[in-house]
Amino acid sequence: MKKLYYDVSKCLACKSCEIACAVGKSTSGELFKAIFEEVKPQSCVEVKTTGGKNFPIACRHCKEHPCVSACIAGALSYDQAKGRVIYNKDKCVGCWMCVMVCPYGAIRDNKELKIPIRCDLCADVDEPRCIKACPMGAIMFLEEEEFDKMLAEKKVNKKPV
Amino acid sequence: MATKNIVIIGNSAAGVSAVEGIRTKDRESKITIISDEQFLAYCRCLISNYLAGTIAEKDLVFRDKNFYSENKVELLLEKKAERIDTKKKKVYLEDKTVIPYDALLIAAGASPKMPKDLKGINKRGVFGFRTIKDTKEILTIASISHTSCVLGGGLVGLKAAYGLAKRKQDVKVIVKSNRILSQIADKQASELFLSRFSENGIEVMLNTDVSEIIGNGDLKAVKLDNGKVIGCSLVIVGKGVSPNTKLVLESDIKIDKGILVDEHQCTNINDVYAAGDVAETFDVATEKYENNALWPCAVEQGRVAGLNIAGENLQYAGSLGMNSIEFFGLPLISFGVFDGEYETVSSLDKGKAIYRKLVFKNSRLIGALLAGNIHNSGLYLRLIKERSDISKIKDDLLDVNLNYAKIAELVKEEEKIYI
Repeated sequence: MKKLYYDVSKCLACKSCEIACAVGKSTSGELFKAIFEEVKPQSCVEVKTTGGKNFPIACRHCKEHPCVSACIAGALSYDQAKGRVIYNKDKCVGCWMCVMVCPYGAIRDNKELKIPIRCDLCADVDEPRCIKACPMGAIMFLEEEEFDKMLAEKKVNKKPV
Repeated sequence: MATKNIVIIGNSAAGVSAVEGIRTKDRESKITIISDEQFLAYCRCLISNYLAGTIAEKDLVFRDKNFYSENKVELLLEKKAERIDTKKKKVYLEDKTVIPYDALLIAAGASPKMPKDLKGINKRGVFGFRTIKDTKEILTIASISHTSCVLGGGLVGLKAAYGLAKRKQDVKVIVKSNRILSQIADKQASELFLSRFSENGIEVMLNTDVSEIIGNGDLKAVKLDNGKVIGCSLVIVGKGVSPNTKLVLESDIKIDKGILVDEHQCTNINDVYAAGDVAETFDVATEKYENNALWPCAVEQGRVAGLNIAGENLQYAGSLGMNSIEFFGLPLISFGVFDGEYETVSSLDKGKAIYRKLVFKNSRLIGALLAGNIHNSGLYLRLIKERSDISKIKDDLLDVNLNYAKIAELVKEEEKIYI
């Protein structure tokens, strides 16, 4: 159950992740064609700056997933085994209930397509495209235990010898 | 754990969500759902889409028959629960069947309020708008009707009007008050929608009431209080809903506006719970007990009730008025309180039809209206729900660049995702 984690001390808000994401979501899958697509492809991740730090903000696939509870059309479901929120476009009616309840503001409305813009962890490929796109290595795709271990190691290293 | 005999009255958002809650803890107890409708769990909020013809009847279903078999639920359709005896722990159905329970969840929903005193209200062609059955009957008449009238300018009325217009009806919306959507929008936001409706050929008559429904068995026309008569063969009444509390009237279960429940969704009687449109819960924005008959509230209340029936000790965080609507490309998300003598901040761009307003009570956010640009709505909901002290970031809250990182310090959860 790998999830995305972010090292904000490294993030420069270069938005390479946003570009890679939008291209990945485009019809052509290529940057220079994607720009000219009739419906502009949009990035699921948005980098926002607060207090001098940059925070990439995308769906957490959180354990509570209020979007799934609020979905009136049964288009969102939670896959317990994969730890992911799954979206079924065929059932979606574009009611924006998911936008209304996302506690992270990580779901936006795509007005043209009438579908929610939200990170599916690039379900079509092996790992999310934003990871390779980040020149700073600020985006990590880890199991929770791996992340915990990394945090613990960081703490140890910080201690004066 | 000893197995129980769990009975749920109602097969919609709250009832279904309760089953899911129960089954995360308890796979063995017997669950029986009683529903007076003939359909599998379907989404009422979508019947206007069905009326408009944008989705098929089968796509209204949000839990199919596998749901009932996988969760070992006995589903009794077209059975109406008539009364409850909380001492004998039995539910009595209209067809004289008696169903005993160890734990009972009343999730019986609500029904359209029909103006009983309006002359002619019982004529054929006058409908509430709540069920698939209503919609089917409306569609039959719409196929031969030319003009339809909608009574009431609330969400249900306007959704009906929108659907009827898609069915090529000439639609007149008759609204007693001086604005539409008064339950979910302030005057300013409602005006944005009013112009959308008139631009799209739906006539909305404000400050107007119906004095009589005219016809000889079948409806032929409505007479307005200004003397005008509109010929029509279809009337939809959208004047709000009232909780289906009739089945508990003879019992000792406490009712106010709806069935009163505590933070565990339990009524004043042990082992009897209530959730969804029939229940009255504590509203975190108004700080009063309210009957918030809303889909997301019903789902959450049902889940809490279900888990508690299964032996958990879970508290419901409280309900809150929350709506997401869109008409003719204009979205609106609305939370909590938006009228009254409170401190507010707002911004309006009439050209782009963007209007955003926040309502404060002391250091708390108690309401938000976001029309035209609904980004980050969930952040406002979170601050209202968690009753966060927002004084530190009050000036930045309406900024379109608001983001989770900005409110992260104020909210309860310590999230582990950023380092």
